[in-house]
Amino acid sequence: MTTTKPPVPNLAPEVTIKLAATSDEMLQCFALRAAVFMGEQQCPYDEEFDGNDYTATHVILYVDGEPAGSMRLRWFQSFCKFERCVVLRRYRALGLHHQLNAWCKEFARRKGYTKAYVHLQKRHLAMMEKEGFRLVDDRIFNFSDHQYYAVYCDLVPPQDAVTLQTVPMVVNRPEDRLDEEGVLEKSAARGATNPHVHAERRAN
Amino acid sequence: MSNTPRSINGEPLTTKLAMRMEDSLHAFAVRAATFIGELDVPYSEEFDGHDFSATHIIAYLGSEPVGAVRVRWLQSFAMPERLAVIQRFRGHNIGGLLLERCRQLAESRGCSTLYVQVRPADVTYWEKQGWQRLASEPAGAGAKQMIAMVRAVDPSKPMRGSDAPEAVTLRGDAPSPAASGRRERASN
Repeated sequence: MTTTKPPVPNLAPEVTIKLAATSDEMLQCFALRAAVFMGEQQCPYDEEFDGNDYTATHVILYVDGEPAGSMRLRWFQSFCKFERCVVLRRYRALGLHHQLNAWCKEFARRKGYTKAYVHLQKRHLAMMEKEGFRLVDDRIFNFSDHQYYAVYCDLVPPQDAVTLQTVPMVVNRPEDRLDEEGVLEKSAARGATNPHVHAERRAN
Repeated sequence: MSNTPRSINGEPLTTKLAMRMEDSLHAFAVRAATFIGELDVPYSEEFDGHDFSATHIIAYLGSEPVGAVRVRWLQSFAMPERLAVIQRFRGHNIGGLLLERCRQLAESRGCSTLYVQVRPADVTYWEKQGWQRLASEPAGAGAKQMIAMVRAVDPSKPMRGSDAPEAVTLRGDAPSPAASGRRERASN
C-alpha cells in the first residue's frame, strides 16, 4: 500500500463556525465524529451515537470551507454541557478547539447560561484550566475506555442575553444570529392573514 | 463467498440494504471512520454528492456497523464504490461479503456487469476475486492513479474482458478517474 503525504495545511486559514442548521451540516458533524472517535479511537458506533444527538445543538467549524471540527451542546437548567468536541487530525496543529470553545461559550452566554460543563480526560485538564475551567469536585469516572473528571467554567451573560423580557421576535431568530433579522420577522409583513383565522371568525 | 464466516466470535455477520435514515448514517459513519479518520481524505471528496442517488449496503457484526459499500447504477454497469471496513474488523473478508451482496443486488436488477475503480496496489486482490482490468494502463496521476476493473454479474457468463474494452461505456455522470482513484480498498 502506498502512503500519501497529507497536503501541507494553510497556516492562516479562514475559520468559520456556525450552528449546524441543516441535515447536511449535521451530517458533517456526525462524519467528523465518526472519523475521530470511531476511526482513530476505536469507539463503538452505539457509544459514539448515544441517543442524544437529536436532543442536542450541533456546532460545525470550517477551515477554508472544509468541515474540520465539531461540538455538541446539551442544555440543562443550571448549565450547558459541551461534549463530542473534535478537530480532524490534519487540522490539529492550529489550536482550533480554543476557537470552538470560545464560540460555544459566547453562544451559551447569549442564551443566558452562567455555566459551561465538560467531562474531561485527565490529559486535557491543564489545557482547559487555562481556558477558565476547574474541577467540580474530586469524582473520577470511566466510560468508553477513558477516565474523566467533571469540570465547569463560569459564564457572564451579556446585557442582551435572552430573558423573559427579550423582544419576542428576537427569541425566534436563528440562535447563532440573534442580532440579525430572522425569516419570521420578514413574514410579519404579511400580517395575520392565515385563512384559518377568518374561518374561525365566520364560525363565531 | 464460501470463505466468509457467518459469525465472528459468536456474533452474527450480516449485510443489509440501507432503507432508513439511520441505516444510511451507519454507512456514512463507517466511511468517515475509514476514509476521513484513517486515510485523511477530505470530507468534501468523501461525501461527493452521489450519496442520495445511490444504494448503500452495510455489514453488521451483531448490531455494530463494521463495513459499508455504495452502489451507483448506470445503464451499462453497476458501480460498487466507497468500500470500507473498520480497521479492527479486517481480515474476515467482510469486503468480499459486501461485494457479493452488490453482485446479488445487481443480478436481481438484471444488470450484467460490475465496474470498479481500484488503486494500482490493490489490483492483485481484485484479480483474485475474479475481476479483470478494463485497460492495461492506469489512468490519473500520482496518488490518484486508478485502474478500472470489471466483472460479470453472472459468473457462468464471463465477460469478453480486457480485450474488448468497448463492451463497457462510461456514462456522463461517472466521476473523473482522478476524483475516485483511491476509493476502492481491499478489505483484507
